[in-house]
Amino acid sequence: MRFWHVAVAWLRSVFLRSRREAELGEELRFHIEQETERLVAGGVEPHQARLHARRTFGSVEAVKEESRDARGTTFVDHLARDTRHAARRLRRDWRFTTAAVLILGLGIGVNAAIFSVINAVLFRPQAVVNPETLVDIYQNAPGGAPMGNSYAAYLDMAAYTDIFAGSTVTFIPHPVTYSDGGPLRQAIAENTSASYLTVLGLRPALGRWFTEAEDAMNAPPVVVLGYRAWTTRFASDPAVIGRIIRIDGIPVTVVGVAPANHAASMNFGAHSDFWMPLKTLVNFGAPAQMLARDISEPAFMVKARLRPGVTVAQAQAAMTALGSRLAREYPKEDKGAGISVYSARDVRIHPQMDVILAAFATALLALVGLVLAIACSNLATLLLVRGAARVKEVSVRLAVGATRTQLVRHLLTESVLLALAGGAAGCVLAWWTMRSLSTLDLPVVVDFSLDFRVLGFALALSFVTGILFGLAPALHSTRVDLWQTLRDDGEVRVSGRRWFNLKNSLVVFQVAVSVFLLAGTGLALQMLAAGRAQRVGYAVDGVSMIESDARYVVNTAAGQSRLFEQLLTRVKAIPGVQAAVVTRGLPMEVAGLPIAIDGAAGGSPESTGAASIWAGPGFFETLQIPILYGRALDTRDREGAPRAAVVNEGMARRYFGSVNAIGRRFRIEPGGDWMTIVGVARDTWTNDLSDIVDPVPYLFYRPIEQWNVTPSTVIARTTLGAAPLVRAMQIEIREVDERLPILTAKTMVQVLEDSLQAAKGMAAFFTGLGVLGLTLAGIGLYAVIAFAVTRRSREIGIRMALGAGSQQVVWSVARDVAALVAVGTGAGLGLWMIAVLVMKVAPVRTSGVANIQFYQPDVDPLAMLAIAGFTAFVAVAAAYVPARRAARLDPLIALRHD
Amino acid sequence: MSDQTDLLQGTLDLLIMRTIAPEPLHGWAIAQRIQQVSDELLRVQQGSLYPALHRLEHQGWIAAEWGASDNNRRARFYSLTRAGRRQLSTEVSKWERLSAGVNLVLRRT
Repeated sequence: MRFWHVAVAWLRSVFLRSRREAELGEELRFHIEQETERLVAGGVEPHQARLHARRTFGSVEAVKEESRDARGTTFVDHLARDTRHAARRLRRDWRFTTAAVLILGLGIGVNAAIFSVINAVLFRPQAVVNPETLVDIYQNAPGGAPMGNSYAAYLDMAAYTDIFAGSTVTFIPHPVTYSDGGPLRQAIAENTSASYLTVLGLRPALGRWFTEAEDAMNAPPVVVLGYRAWTTRFASDPAVIGRIIRIDGIPVTVVGVAPANHAASMNFGAHSDFWMPLKTLVNFGAPAQMLARDISEPAFMVKARLRPGVTVAQAQAAMTALGSRLAREYPKEDKGAGISVYSARDVRIHPQMDVILAAFATALLALVGLVLAIACSNLATLLLVRGAARVKEVSVRLAVGATRTQLVRHLLTESVLLALAGGAAGCVLAWWTMRSLSTLDLPVVVDFSLDFRVLGFALALSFVTGILFGLAPALHSTRVDLWQTLRDDGEVRVSGRRWFNLKNSLVVFQVAVSVFLLAGTGLALQMLAAGRAQRVGYAVDGVSMIESDARYVVNTAAGQSRLFEQLLTRVKAIPGVQAAVVTRGLPMEVAGLPIAIDGAAGGSPESTGAASIWAGPGFFETLQIPILYGRALDTRDREGAPRAAVVNEGMARRYFGSVNAIGRRFRIEPGGDWMTIVGVARDTWTNDLSDIVDPVPYLFYRPIEQWNVTPSTVIARTTLGAAPLVRAMQIEIREVDERLPILTAKTMVQVLEDSLQAAKGMAAFFTGLGVLGLTLAGIGLYAVIAFAVTRRSREIGIRMALGAGSQQVVWSVARDVAALVAVGTGAGLGLWMIAVLVMKVAPVRTSGVANIQFYQPDVDPLAMLAIAGFTAFVAVAAAYVPARRAARLDPLIALRHD
Repeated sequence: MSDQTDLLQGTLDLLIMRTIAPEPLHGWAIAQRIQQVSDELLRVQQGSLYPALHRLEHQGWIAAEWGASDNNRRARFYSLTRAGRRQLSTEVSKWERLSAGVNLVLRRT
């Protein structure tokens, strides 16, 4: 309450200020006029009377000032006056102001941009009714970390109706294509049970959610549009209800629109475009086996609403009981790792993801925080230099009676004002960055818009910055020796000529941090090079691929296969084509599956898994993967023929004891048909190039025709250049059927290069930060050197008068620069080596739930040399102008100055 | 002129409050009244009058209001508030004790 009164008094004094000021003037004027009248009445001549009245009154301004001071609320008056004063001064030094606002704007802008990404991912709350009675349930992975659930386990959980008032299951969001009459577009789809919206306590914005009856295998497929998809992709058209669109080629009826405030089941800022019944997954080509108890990746997420009065602990107890029951009843499928229950308030995406994301966000903020640190220390340098240049002004003001507090207050006001301007510039920059990011047509729409948290963050950042970088220079530059500075030699001495002073340390710090960031670029480039240098083990040059979706043309699997056969025939006829194959997926797109080996007694549970890939006849020939034993898959492996497979060396050695595993059998769990190994192929890289650390080593090839799988891709190899082949295949696919959409058409080189996006992005990010940092450091360096030259102009003048050549003068300036930059670079590189050592010593960190595998970098002497060279270049650029000025100094003028 | 005495520190507040106790007055009138009533012995420095008025107003002992002066001009009239009256009586008794004490010391030594 007291605060409220004080605040009101302040506000009043701010608003009433000008009125009171006018009234005070009027009151004093009235006084003087009364006095004049009195004198006139006493017989004095009016002009004389006026003069006399004025004289006896004394200084009107002084009386005003004292009357103002007599009132209590002068703090606000001072603040307003200081602010106006500071604004005036900043306007006068517009060059300095522009530089400072730019520097700070860049620093704060980068931070606000990164923070709005983190905000979108980590801080935006999910709209759910009563999150305290909602729980997330996860089956644990062996080792105890929460994973995901099998569909069968969800049904067991849902049966606990005495604990749960309702429960729902979702399948992780996945990319789909769709067409609303027009061209094919990418979208994100989610599959949930019919109970989803009811359990969350939400209502559809339009139409309805799907029903229990619609969530059944082979039920006519229906879809609920995501709210954002409805507004952006369907123009908010209410008539969309009842319309039929095609998703992954399959006709689907729109029945409703999801609530506006609910983006996705996983709250990381992305918006799901389509919501479909869970079991529709099977209609869209997922194997029915994915709903079984034993699956390779438990991809179902369970949410449940607690009954009134039931606590999370009680739910956990019930689920623990269920966990041990499942382990007892299904010893083969359930390894007894248990079940974890989390309050929905404690989970954003997934307990494991949350940890990784938080670590990632922290690292990201720390990195961009370094740039802000550079920007701030830079501004501190500028302010210090400016403060030093203003020592004379400060001394005069101290001499005429200004207190140190007043001066510090003035300087602080100035820097806070600067910081706020920088913050505003930063917000504009961040907003612009975010806007240009969101105009990109990304398959996933993540809502990065700036909200009050971002603005609050930027504001807080600018305030803290203002105080931090304002205080040190303010204290520093008001600590002047009056006697010394007012002596008429005009030479200014702030603190002695200590080399290790504040300005120099700040410059060293900036250089060190920039060098550290640039070294990060080196690491990113190193990873990129390692990726590129990866021997993939299959043909890349001259290989091209084209991906389509035949479901948009025909409904039957046979018809779809026939379309691809036609395409294959046409592609093979393209001049220069050596070999071509129909397949589903690319050699770097493999799927892990649980398998069982014939003749092996179970085997250890973790190891009986392998990756699988579809291969038509000619696959090995097209990609030039050598067959070591036996034969490649060919036209003999048709539907109806005994199931055949080719395994790679790694799998043969691991599961069959020898590379020659011809004739051995294995099957996909649970209970698939036995496959007989007909060939062993040389190992290939089974991942794209983004993953340098851990490829999937065990791989088997299945003939696509034996598994009733819709083909999606044609891969071909030519002697005449891959790029023309891509164009030729695009023409051929239109010849087969104009309605066949082209999802992807690329050369294999492009495909691999595209998988390096993340590494490239990281390299660009580090380069951007490093260059930004070094640019800022360069500005700081320039300011310090320019100031030093000005301060030493007298000394330089004397040297030149005594016969020093301009080269010697330049050297004396350059020496300081070289020392600062060398120390900074050394410190930065030293820090980097320590960081590299840490990464080497701790390659795998186990943080309870998440295993984070780091790339193990090497210290690259060449990169370090390059960084040192670049830093030296920036230093030379920064020192050039001041050094030249020093060299051209006229000794006469320098000695005469003042 | 030389008979006029500069005011003792702190007594100005007392004089102002006493002067406006019977009726509201504007600044100039307060200065005049003090001068007249003291038979021109006391003279108020204009430079200290207005700061004192504003300080007293801020402390809540006197209140200001715009009104018309004798010659019908806009002027700021000061009047005593209730808190001001209480303050005046304590100040008066304080002053009386002080002057009595001073007088005693002056006469007996």
